[in-house]
Amino acid sequence: MDLAYTTEQQAFRAEVRAWMEANAPKAPLVTLEREEGYHQHVEWERKLASGNWGMVTWPEAYGGRGLDLIQWLIFEEEYYRAGAPLRVNQNGIFLLGPTVMEYGTDEQKARFLTPMAKGEMIWAQAWSEPGAGSDMAAITSKAIRDGDHYVISGQKTWSSRASFADWGFGLFRTDPDSKRHKGLSFILFDLNAPGVTRRPIRQLHGDPGFAELFFDDVRVPVANRIAGEGEGWTVAMATAGFERGLMLRSPARFQAAAERLVKLFRACEAKAAPAAREQVMQAWMDAQAYAYNTYAVASKIMGGGQIGAEASLNKIFWSELDRAAHRTAMQLLGASAELRHLDGGALNAWLEGYIFSLSGPIYAGSNEIQRNIIAERLLGLPR
Amino acid sequence: MDFTITEDQATLTQGVRDYLAGVHTPELLRALDASDSRRSDAVWQGLADMGLPGLLVPEAQGGLGLSLLDAVLIAAELGRAGVAEPIADTALVAAPLLAKAGGQEAVLEAIASGEVKVALQHPVNPWVADLDGASHILSAKDGALLLAERSSGAELLDSVDPLRRLYAPVAAKGVTVGSADALLDHAALIAAAQLVGLADAMLEQATDYAKNRSQFGQPIGSFQAVKHHLATAAVKIAFARPVIERAAVALQDGAASAPVHVSHAKLAAADAAWAMSETAIQTHGAMGYTYEVDLHFWMKRAWALSGAWGDRAFHLARIDAAVIGGALPIGPGHSFV
Repeated sequence: MDLAYTTEQQAFRAEVRAWMEANAPKAPLVTLEREEGYHQHVEWERKLASGNWGMVTWPEAYGGRGLDLIQWLIFEEEYYRAGAPLRVNQNGIFLLGPTVMEYGTDEQKARFLTPMAKGEMIWAQAWSEPGAGSDMAAITSKAIRDGDHYVISGQKTWSSRASFADWGFGLFRTDPDSKRHKGLSFILFDLNAPGVTRRPIRQLHGDPGFAELFFDDVRVPVANRIAGEGEGWTVAMATAGFERGLMLRSPARFQAAAERLVKLFRACEAKAAPAAREQVMQAWMDAQAYAYNTYAVASKIMGGGQIGAEASLNKIFWSELDRAAHRTAMQLLGASAELRHLDGGALNAWLEGYIFSLSGPIYAGSNEIQRNIIAERLLGLPR
Repeated sequence: MDFTITEDQATLTQGVRDYLAGVHTPELLRALDASDSRRSDAVWQGLADMGLPGLLVPEAQGGLGLSLLDAVLIAAELGRAGVAEPIADTALVAAPLLAKAGGQEAVLEAIASGEVKVALQHPVNPWVADLDGASHILSAKDGALLLAERSSGAELLDSVDPLRRLYAPVAAKGVTVGSADALLDHAALIAAAQLVGLADAMLEQATDYAKNRSQFGQPIGSFQAVKHHLATAAVKIAFARPVIERAAVALQDGAASAPVHVSHAKLAAADAAWAMSETAIQTHGAMGYTYEVDLHFWMKRAWALSGAWGDRAFHLARIDAAVIGGALPIGPGHSFV
């Protein structure tokens, strides 16, 4: 164990910091859950790519920098330190990207990874259906083979980014007689293809960030299937592992929130409830614990280890600490917490953050599902 | 930057775990509980034969010269096995302090050979554990740390933990061997590590119980309510561990921020152990409310160590001064600097 950065890592940090200071937007963008903000965020994604910062851990051949996970953590720390915008392409770079890297053909890698890293192809995920949320094996949307195409019919819902994004990925039943986990395939589709209808869904905050998707005999080339026909469940579970695991929520995000929470507390300490003081400290401690653990997991993976069901521990921890930290802020703000704009100016980031944090324990497999995974796979309790 | 433990550390830890699992069984705890002294020369000799007292004693004095990171890994195993002998205080707290002080070669040699046990007293920790069996005592006084041979007798107090031997403090005297703060931080760190080991053991006991105890025709561990209790506690334990390791490295390196990391470690470990003890007794149901189930030995040790070496208020106050008070730089990029 050596908890000091190497000279090279420090130099890398300085390089990221300099680029972020020169390039990160000085003022907050409009939320990416609205069309105007979505386009602002895409522009930022392309600017990042122009500095070759789109996806630092990817191989250079696909527009990355070939960096290791510790460097990625340093990058993320500098990213959040600079107050840079949220990543509109996170479905692509953190979920689909690793999936294509592991299961895609060379042709698929060339076709999808580079545009992803360059911010030229923004991805929506299309897992859920009205009858298949946490029970994803209940999927009924079909993709029926017709020569070298699939014909897709059915419906997806709660597809994040799908109101505005370019492409989507999801699971479809390629064997119409199959049940549950079998007979599913992992297919990528153009959201602008004929037969795709998007119906934006207003989320809790009122913005139309995600959508329902209706597929009316949409023709998708077989070449858009990742891995073999009927192997979709295995691939999707790997993607879900990426989602719960290391890269979706970097600790820097929560450390930045904890830092802002401490500043908020200092500003309204005089009227704070006695318990708030401890909650603020807990937010800092939990963000730190999450950071240490993430560095530990990164070290383990770099040493040849793997992260399996432990990813469920991470997902529960970050989603619940995020909700608690934002709840504390809302309570500190008191009567001002309900205002959409604080001080008549910028959007109330605490309110937006609190609303968003409420989704954390639900998406990427609800925390109840994660607790089942921990109990059954880590503790060995009976199903 | 590398957060993994070495193969040597993994081997050592596993060796200690296997040894203790074989000899330091619940039956042994019950036998000690039934004895007058609650201590056993045979158990101590076994620990000494295993080489535990000398782990942090420099090689020149017959020890292994290991680090505080090794110490927390071993302390967790002592907690897991519910070891009550003063091995943590002597080997993992006193030894590194005396090694750092210098000039205490004879005492260190005697620690390494298992002849000397050291009791620890500090104003933050109002009771002194294992004073009667100690030949030496490290005392905090006016900010300094004093080493003396133990002389006078002492008044035995009654702890809820049947294997904890507590005494009222005695007059502090002796030669200066360091600072009172160093004693507090080392002891709090080792207590935190033991708490995580205790929590691990309780999780294992509760999980085993949930697998085997049937109600309504099936193991209670198949019920989601029980699963979720245990999973929630497992999350807390998992996230206390790296905080302790981070604190051990900071204290070993003499980092200015080490006291904050130690306080964080103590709070995280105590929270995890406290939550786990409540979860474990709930999982055991009425059986858990009896003296007959082993669980209570671990649960009571967890209560005791949670309050020892700085209680919740003490460690929160240190976090408060550093984080809200602004003494520590916080935010992204400040995890390790």
